[in-house]
Amino acid sequence: MTLAQKGRWTTGVGLVLLAAVYVRALAFTPVERLQGAAQKIYYLHVPAAIWTETAMVLVGVASIFFLFLKDSRLDSFAAASAEVGTAFATIMLTTGPIWGKPIWGTWWTWDARLTSTLFLFFLYIGYLLLRGAVLDPGVRARYSAVLGICGLCLVPFIHFSVYLFRTLHPMPIILKPSSPSLPGPMLATWLFSVAVFTILYVGFVMQRYALARAREGAQHV
Amino acid sequence: MSEAVPQNAGYMVAAYIIAAVILVTYAISLFRRTRGL
Repeated sequence: MTLAQKGRWTTGVGLVLLAAVYVRALAFTPVERLQGAAQKIYYLHVPAAIWTETAMVLVGVASIFFLFLKDSRLDSFAAASAEVGTAFATIMLTTGPIWGKPIWGTWWTWDARLTSTLFLFFLYIGYLLLRGAVLDPGVRARYSAVLGICGLCLVPFIHFSVYLFRTLHPMPIILKPSSPSLPGPMLATWLFSVAVFTILYVGFVMQRYALARAREGAQHV
Repeated sequence: MSEAVPQNAGYMVAAYIIAAVILVTYAISLFRRTRGL
């Protein structure tokens, strides 16, 4: 079985499990008393945000190693992770405002967390545009690596922005030094969703990486 | 006296539909692009 086929199977399993997340979140997870049903957006928004940031961290780490080792497989992985990260960033940036409207009373506010997250999305878009615009593979890989490292530097700022600035965005209720503030059934649904988003990330990247390697091979023929 | 739970399920449904559309569309895009690999 090829890597692309393994990726397709992994993605298929991920999509089936995503349906199970939907059933569990919508039908078997209690409604939060103060926020109502809109709180359930959390089970999609936060896993998508985690993988948006993690994907960019992996792009940055692969880019650093690429600049030292000049191994094109690292560049292919960075390209794959960036494209998948863009898909997750789109989910994060659409579900967030949909939650914000009923809870905050506004779709968007220019606070530190939201603005820096939007900047990360534009960085993803810029990364993909750069890869499409530069024809020479060596130059493209080098320029992309520099942009990927910039993205890596941005991620800690985004994560800690809620501590560094006064923001409307809520503080972390799970990924914090003390124990999670979420009740058991809600925490179980959230962990299930994070696991499924992880499977989807792996499946997507396997396919996208296989595609990048095939393109790389075609350029050398 | 307990407050009523806010009625905002429409926002939740919209978010869940949009997330599913993005993920399934991207999965189909990858399926098509990697066909034959």
